[in-house]
Amino acid sequence: MSPAKLPEKRPDRHYNFGRMNMVFALSSLGLLAVTLWMAFADYAQPWKRIQSEFRSLERQKLVKEEEAEKQRLNQNDLVQLKQQVAQAQKDLDQHHRDIARLESEVTDWKSKVYSTDSAWKGRKATADAAKFQYDNALQAGDKDVIAKRSAELERARRDLADALHAREKAETGRDDAQARLAAKEAVLSDAEKKLKALQSGVDGIETRIAHLNKGVDYFVLNAPMMDFIQPSLKIEQVILPGLYQNINFTNIDRVDRCMTCHVAANRPGFDGTDWKEPFRSHPRIDLFVGDSSPHPYTRFGCTICHGGLDRATDFARAGHNLPLLASNDPQSRKQWEETKKEWERKWDWKQPQFLDYPILPGSVAESGCVNCHASGVWTAKSDTQETGRELIAHMGCYGCHTINLPGFTGLRKAGPSLLRIAGKTNPGWAYKWIEAPRNFHPTTWMPHFFNQENNTLEVNKKRQQVEIVALVSYLWAKSERPVYTDAGVPAGDATRGKALFETVGCGGCHLLDAKAKRDDYYPVINRLHGPNLVRTGSKVSRGWVYAWVKNPKQYYPDTNMPNLRLTDQEAADLTAYLTDTPNHDPQYENLQLPAVDPRLRDELAMAYLKELYTIDRSRAMLAAMPEQDRNVFLGEKTVAKYGCYGCHDIKGFENLKPIGTELTAEGSKPLHQLDFGHVHEVPHTRQDWVYNKLLRPRMWDEGKEAVKDYNELLKMPNFGMSQREAQSVLSNVMGFTKESAIATRKAGTDPRTAALAEGRKLITRYNCQGCHLIEGQGHAIKTLFTQVLKEQGQADPDVSGLLPPNLAAEGARVQSAWLFNYLHDPGRVRMRPWLTARMPTFGFTDDKANTVVGYFAAREEQRPFLSEPDAPDAKSLAVGGAVFSMLQCARCHPAGAEASAAVGGSKGDLAPSLLMAHDRLRYDWVPSWIQNPQHWIPGTRMPNFFPETKPGEFMSPVPPMLGNPAFAAQKQQILRYFSSEAEMNAYLSDVKTVTTALRDHIWSISGGGRAPAAGARGAAPAAVPAGAAGGR
Amino acid sequence: MSRKLLWLVALCAVLALVGCGGGDKKDETASAPAPAAAPAAPAANAGGVSGTVTFAGTDTDTPIAFSADPVCASLHKTPADTNEIAAKDGKLGNVFVYVKTGLEGKTFPAPADKKELDQQGCLYTPRVQGIQVGQPLTIKNTDATLHNVHALAKTNAEFNQAQPQGLPPFDKTFDKQELMVHVKCDVHPWMTAYVGVLPHPFFATTGDDGTFSIKNLPPGKYTLEAWHEKLGTQDQEITVGPSQTVTANFDFKGK
Repeated sequence: MSPAKLPEKRPDRHYNFGRMNMVFALSSLGLLAVTLWMAFADYAQPWKRIQSEFRSLERQKLVKEEEAEKQRLNQNDLVQLKQQVAQAQKDLDQHHRDIARLESEVTDWKSKVYSTDSAWKGRKATADAAKFQYDNALQAGDKDVIAKRSAELERARRDLADALHAREKAETGRDDAQARLAAKEAVLSDAEKKLKALQSGVDGIETRIAHLNKGVDYFVLNAPMMDFIQPSLKIEQVILPGLYQNINFTNIDRVDRCMTCHVAANRPGFDGTDWKEPFRSHPRIDLFVGDSSPHPYTRFGCTICHGGLDRATDFARAGHNLPLLASNDPQSRKQWEETKKEWERKWDWKQPQFLDYPILPGSVAESGCVNCHASGVWTAKSDTQETGRELIAHMGCYGCHTINLPGFTGLRKAGPSLLRIAGKTNPGWAYKWIEAPRNFHPTTWMPHFFNQENNTLEVNKKRQQVEIVALVSYLWAKSERPVYTDAGVPAGDATRGKALFETVGCGGCHLLDAKAKRDDYYPVINRLHGPNLVRTGSKVSRGWVYAWVKNPKQYYPDTNMPNLRLTDQEAADLTAYLTDTPNHDPQYENLQLPAVDPRLRDELAMAYLKELYTIDRSRAMLAAMPEQDRNVFLGEKTVAKYGCYGCHDIKGFENLKPIGTELTAEGSKPLHQLDFGHVHEVPHTRQDWVYNKLLRPRMWDEGKEAVKDYNELLKMPNFGMSQREAQSVLSNVMGFTKESAIATRKAGTDPRTAALAEGRKLITRYNCQGCHLIEGQGHAIKTLFTQVLKEQGQADPDVSGLLPPNLAAEGARVQSAWLFNYLHDPGRVRMRPWLTARMPTFGFTDDKANTVVGYFAAREEQRPFLSEPDAPDAKSLAVGGAVFSMLQCARCHPAGAEASAAVGGSKGDLAPSLLMAHDRLRYDWVPSWIQNPQHWIPGTRMPNFFPETKPGEFMSPVPPMLGNPAFAAQKQQILRYFSSEAEMNAYLSDVKTVTTALRDHIWSISGGGRAPAAGARGAAPAAVPAGAAGGR
Repeated sequence: MSRKLLWLVALCAVLALVGCGGGDKKDETASAPAPAAAPAAPAANAGGVSGTVTFAGTDTDTPIAFSADPVCASLHKTPADTNEIAAKDGKLGNVFVYVKTGLEGKTFPAPADKKELDQQGCLYTPRVQGIQVGQPLTIKNTDATLHNVHALAKTNAEFNQAQPQGLPPFDKTFDKQELMVHVKCDVHPWMTAYVGVLPHPFFATTGDDGTFSIKNLPPGKYTLEAWHEKLGTQDQEITVGPSQTVTANFDFKGK
């Protein structure tokens, strides 16, 4: 605009047109710019960038796959591929024609069979008639007639033989044609598959790549203003009715939008090093998110487990949390800081402060499981959280902290009873033990109470000594004094004792290793169940050990230690191994209680007295106490102060409340209730507080030791947790929230789940998985067996034959009544005489045994009792017997231990005697087991006799075997029950029939087969078959 | 609000495009199995590698107690030993030699011809062999007794198939690389075989004279590994020139 064109300034206007237009022009331009900016800001959401990036990455992936596919197809030889397709199609047509031809051939043969069979039947009638006539003639005695009839009969018989021959020929022809047809059909289905495979492959990938191209349509559809039609970049959300989010006291349905950025969470294949978050598949897509998983995305979403703000589509607002920071590990700090910097730079991340449940770091993500599964349901293969549950049981967290959740109530005290401690060891040892348990027993669960980071002042160190002396004085003053003398212990041999220790099963629960670290055994901690027996000789007397291994319950009736039914000699050998000189430590011998400063002791005692009485009265009371009583008095107060009774039975502390904070809702605890003290280096989040508390329990006293009174200092003991252990425990604690999924979706409310939960508690308590494999976990003793064989010079020992049984299918396999009796007295029957490990007697009450039996039955969804089997028919029995010998079942399943020795088999290669089958096994299970043992117990040494021809289809090996002259006798034996070989073969080709026949045979040899009185079997005790009960 | 304002401006464009707004559904079907391909002919300039494996030490094999099964005992009039160390005159048999690295990114279709594992005289024949991924292994039982073939595969699917006398041979394939698949018979614990499953055909097992030969190897640099069931593994770097057969010898030390 040139100034010349501007209208002249008129006197009645107080403003300049030109300037005004300029102002309007500029401000409207400004408005336009702001409007565009606003539109852009509204449009350019970070999640769109993420989705677009994923699209490109996925396309790249597909392109790579296509390349690989082409490479596989011999350097782009697509022309050849197409020829193959054409050829395959041609073949297919030819196959169809062949099949039609064969089918008509089969039909022809069938009609031939029919006609020849009819002919044969007619001739048979004629022959029978002739026979009758001849017989009559013989009776009449007329020679001519006899000769005539005889000739007739002769002729009829010849005719019959001819007819039979003709029929057999027709049958052979039919069988042959049918076999050819079946073979052709198999070829056809292969050809069809081949064609299908050829047709997909590259074509499929190309189509998918085309979908991901960013062409014009992509940009137009996702352009601002256009993206309301059908954008390819859009918010992915799922509405989750019933899964509430509490917003300011109002429950509203969750709407999870996580998959807006975590694009591939429900799609497999986006893992490995190529894919980084947010583009990775869920690591357990079989369990979570996937459509066919138990927790599909459409029903559970993400935030119900992970936490975070469901509706957020922005990284920072969604509530992402940094990884855990272990304050005692510089490496962890470095990683934490790097991640923090990256997040701040990339996502403008800030610590989420306004969410009740921000997203927990990946290492404790399994706490989400606890939210619904706190009833004690084993969440399949969630190592971190499951191991955490076991750690809590071993460390006895619930001894001090009430955890009012089904999985953590009703548990036994974690430590041993101290009611009879004076009969077990001596005060000097006890002092040194309490002072630092891990110095004596490196893998112990007993934590360190003393010499922690808030006990550094000289005077406090002395106070600790006073306290330990007082504790020991109290325990000894209140203890019973059973006497165990060495005199009655027979002479033992330590070498034999070592062999016994390594083979009989001790190693399922105990180590004997001064160098072992708890963390080395993570996450299979079964071998840490009982104490590490290193230095036993310096802790307890030979007399005590002998009495203990013979019968643990005589010392401690509620112990978990079972009775291994050792003979006197075995017990003596074991005692020698555990207490002889090599298993001593001079540092722990001839110890006395140290002398302590009486002034400090009196001062500590006074502090307790003053809480109850006036100063003068307290002084008088203390003065009236003799020296030793003052120690005992202080000891009692100290037991109460540290809560020793939370884990140990101690006289005078029955039924007391635990001393620690309740943890039932720790995962919901508001941040302001967590005291970080003067510590600023640890991020102020709930999970970091608990995590660091576990790693350094006295950390929040940093800089406060001199300020606080001695008794005010933090008391939580130090378990010496590794980071993995702490994360495992934390995975549970963070799941102890006050909100959980609403009751209808809460796992563990039906009777079956409850039975499982109760059973699992016992399985953990008695450490069944130390020796057995249950629910895919356990066999911990394998490491010991392997180690022993390695020491004996085997490079890669196979111990599978030595391991106690895999109980995968126990509930389906054995009868409940049998299992119940067996649990009560495992010594009565020896199932597997070749095993060195011995099933110990746990001394279960009926309730406990029922819980275990119920657990196994519930696991396999079996009813406890079964009706009686019908008596099998003679044919099935005979077939079973013949097949039993053909398959050489007795080769591995001997009639008894002695019989096995007789055939010269090495004892590690045997299987249970079948003489027990009738009393022990479930009737319906046996055929199914014989058909496919690997299905029931993966890795079992029982081979598959019925080859799996196609998935789920099995073939009977018997008919082809009967063709072998070696089995002529068996063939003879079976054939009697059939009118023809074809009929026999048809019978024997049916897998179910053959396996049933085998079961019937096994039943008959083990005392079953006839129908006993109803109900008799359910209650019958497990019989001891002759020769099968090889002792303990 | 801004969207509404500009909506009018963009209306025409929108209308024009409504018609062409095609679907953008992602195809989520998994990639289909690959078709079998014709075998690749060896390159014209292919070379090879051969050599001898020697052994110094004592043969620690122990005699097998065939008496555990009378059928086996009857097949062995003279005692046989465990044959873990098949050494003769300082030459070591049953060593599996294969190309360990150097063939990355190349693919080799599985040959259709079958390999065989025979149970003969209560021993596996051959004791050590290689096979290609996808190549069928025919397992047969020539003995008049029960055997079972228990392949303790870790990467591939484990199988445990009984083969009573008279049951026809059956085929198994391995679909992943695995070194080595240990095969044993639970009935006759001394029976042991090893199968090396590789995605390429460049492997060999040494014979009684300790020699091996790998042919048709394309020129290039490779790591050759010799594996022995008791004596461990040894690696060697080799460079194969065009049409050249290089020599690589290995020496195992016993106790």
